[in-house]
Amino acid sequence: MDTLLKLDDFTMHYRTKAGWVQAVDGVTLSLARGQALGLVGESGCGKTSVAMSIMKLLPYNSKVVRGRILFEDRDIYSMSDEEVRRMRWKGIAMIFQAAMNSLNPVYRVGNQIVEAIVTHEPETSEREARERVASLFELVGIPKERVDHYPHEYSGGMKQRAVIAMALACNPKLVIADEPTTALDVIVQDKILREIDQIRRKINMSMIYISHDVSVIAEVSDVVAVMYAGKLVEMGPADNVFKKPRHPYTCGLMMAYPSILGDKHELATIPGEPPNLLDPPAGCRFHPRCDRASVECREADPVWRAVAEGHYTACHNPVEITGTWSEAVKALNGGERLGASSNA
Amino acid sequence: MRRYLLNRLGQVVLTLIIYITLVYFLLQAMPGDITQMYLANPRIPQAAREELQKQLGLDQGVVMQYLNYLKNFFSGELGVSFSHYPRPVWDILMERLPRTFVLFLTAHVLSFYLGYLLGRIIAWRRGKVVDYAATVVGITFWTAFYPLLSLVLIWVFAYTLKLLPLNQFIEPRLWQGAPFPTNTVFGYMVYGGGAVAVGLFLVFYAFLRGLKRSRRNTARAWLSAFAIIAVALAVAWRTGLLVYIWDIASHMILPVCTLTLISFAGTMLLMRDSMLETVQEDYVMAARAKGLPDTIVRDRYAARTAMLPTVTSLVLSLASSMSGGLVTETMFSWPGLGQILFHSALANDYPLATGALAFTGVFLLIAHFVADILYAVLDPRITYAGQPAVEG
Repeated sequence: MDTLLKLDDFTMHYRTKAGWVQAVDGVTLSLARGQALGLVGESGCGKTSVAMSIMKLLPYNSKVVRGRILFEDRDIYSMSDEEVRRMRWKGIAMIFQAAMNSLNPVYRVGNQIVEAIVTHEPETSEREARERVASLFELVGIPKERVDHYPHEYSGGMKQRAVIAMALACNPKLVIADEPTTALDVIVQDKILREIDQIRRKINMSMIYISHDVSVIAEVSDVVAVMYAGKLVEMGPADNVFKKPRHPYTCGLMMAYPSILGDKHELATIPGEPPNLLDPPAGCRFHPRCDRASVECREADPVWRAVAEGHYTACHNPVEITGTWSEAVKALNGGERLGASSNA
Repeated sequence: MRRYLLNRLGQVVLTLIIYITLVYFLLQAMPGDITQMYLANPRIPQAAREELQKQLGLDQGVVMQYLNYLKNFFSGELGVSFSHYPRPVWDILMERLPRTFVLFLTAHVLSFYLGYLLGRIIAWRRGKVVDYAATVVGITFWTAFYPLLSLVLIWVFAYTLKLLPLNQFIEPRLWQGAPFPTNTVFGYMVYGGGAVAVGLFLVFYAFLRGLKRSRRNTARAWLSAFAIIAVALAVAWRTGLLVYIWDIASHMILPVCTLTLISFAGTMLLMRDSMLETVQEDYVMAARAKGLPDTIVRDRYAARTAMLPTVTSLVLSLASSMSGGLVTETMFSWPGLGQILFHSALANDYPLATGALAFTGVFLLIAHFVADILYAVLDPRITYAGQPAVEG
């Protein structure tokens, strides 16, 4: 498969007064052209840091400790500023977490998109760029006459759509959507997600969805990566990961979300708190909250290994689900430990 | 919007009346009147002084005098100066205004622009050497004792190095038999300067308005700008004005530089502060993510929204350029409004002092009014339709 983006043991820390925060630790993943990756995890687990690392938009107090990020086989962190500038939006575009605030309040929305187009495609005239913006607005479902309005004249949903239109403006090869719909109500959220997904398939664009919401990720991703405390804990085809999760944390995360179509189950929370990344626990970072933790988990960092075709996890005692996921959940609600029968 | 403007205009008139009332009674509260200057003069007997008092209307009650003044003021009559009798106050003000206006307007605009540019740079490069250097230098001048600083600059550049003219606002020998009175030249400087400024603005606006910055358009803009300046200079030269304009301009250099040096830090720090907030906004990050060049992110995104508070300070300082500054005018022997205000107050010249203060007041109020309108132009989120802009 044609690899577009590759993270290779990427490790990035933030310097703070209290010490080094190990925000991203040894993340290895790759994304093919046209593929959609879902990155899921609790707040503060390093999802956005990964996104910012890929855009090379890290704050001044960050430091890349190890590893590389390759975009089209070129190391982003050895590119010059000018090369990075050219790569942004043309190569990798982003839909920001705070879409509401990512529009300049004193410029007309259309102009902000035109600006991006003419910056990256000097051969495009301003009029052509304007036409493209009009068709982009049509694509995301904003009336064309809104092009010359200011952001404060838009509703929340429209701003969100405008930001999506902006991300698509230069036909990027990869779009990173960082919580693209968190600020919207569930109905609009669902609609916008489907729209993005359709557009992605139409123009064969790669996508990284970042969300804490498992249901959002499940709907639109081909591949799912689960992050916990700065590390990847599980990654694999969406079907595999959500039907037969192997890492206890993935199970916990899925239990914490209701399933609308599936059977009812009680929502379970994962006990404890995410670790302090200034001084993460030794061994597996999840072990203090894991009911499957053994001595090994406290001492040795679990290795990243394949458990099925394209399905990886980093766990000493992976969960083994034999039946369907909902049966497993039922069993759990019945008091039985998840996957307890399978593992010693 | 129209209702807002009318409302606002009503407020301006009301404020003006209150202001004039205050000014009037404060000046009247000073002990004595102008006739007391003649107390020690044995050749002017008591009866003559009383006659003078009567002539000037000083024998009437204060309230009566005030009502008279108010009536005259709103029919456009500022009266006759006591100390420059029988010159009308309006005449004196009009004689002094252009000199003050040209000097202080230049200084304020320069100081604002310098402060804005530096503030923008140091906010963008916060914590770097430029930041510290500009802040330290700016604050040093800001806190410098102004008269001393002007003396030092005069001593270095005018006295020791003889690069710039010493004292006064013109070279008297040059102006002997000059075909123009000085104020005509000042007038041309104001109008000509204004016309050139508008021309430059239009040229840059026409060529660089687009979101796409091509090298050709930039070149065109600069060429046209030079052409405009060249035409203006040629006109000045052909009419024989140039040499006089240059004379005044060279006398302006020192006071303008001194004023700029002591005041640019204000705008600079205001801009820095305001911009340190906007650089953290999500839309600045988004602009960077869009792959826009660094200078565009800085100028169109971070600085553009940060400049609002500095605009208020600019407009207010422009208004104060009408009133001049006593210290500057004294240090550089610049016969402007500030001096006239000071001397008229010392001499109990009520009409002149009140007139000068009222004049300044009117400009200040107009400036506030303009600032309000400018805000709405600069920030589309501000509307004056009577209800706040809808958010979200």
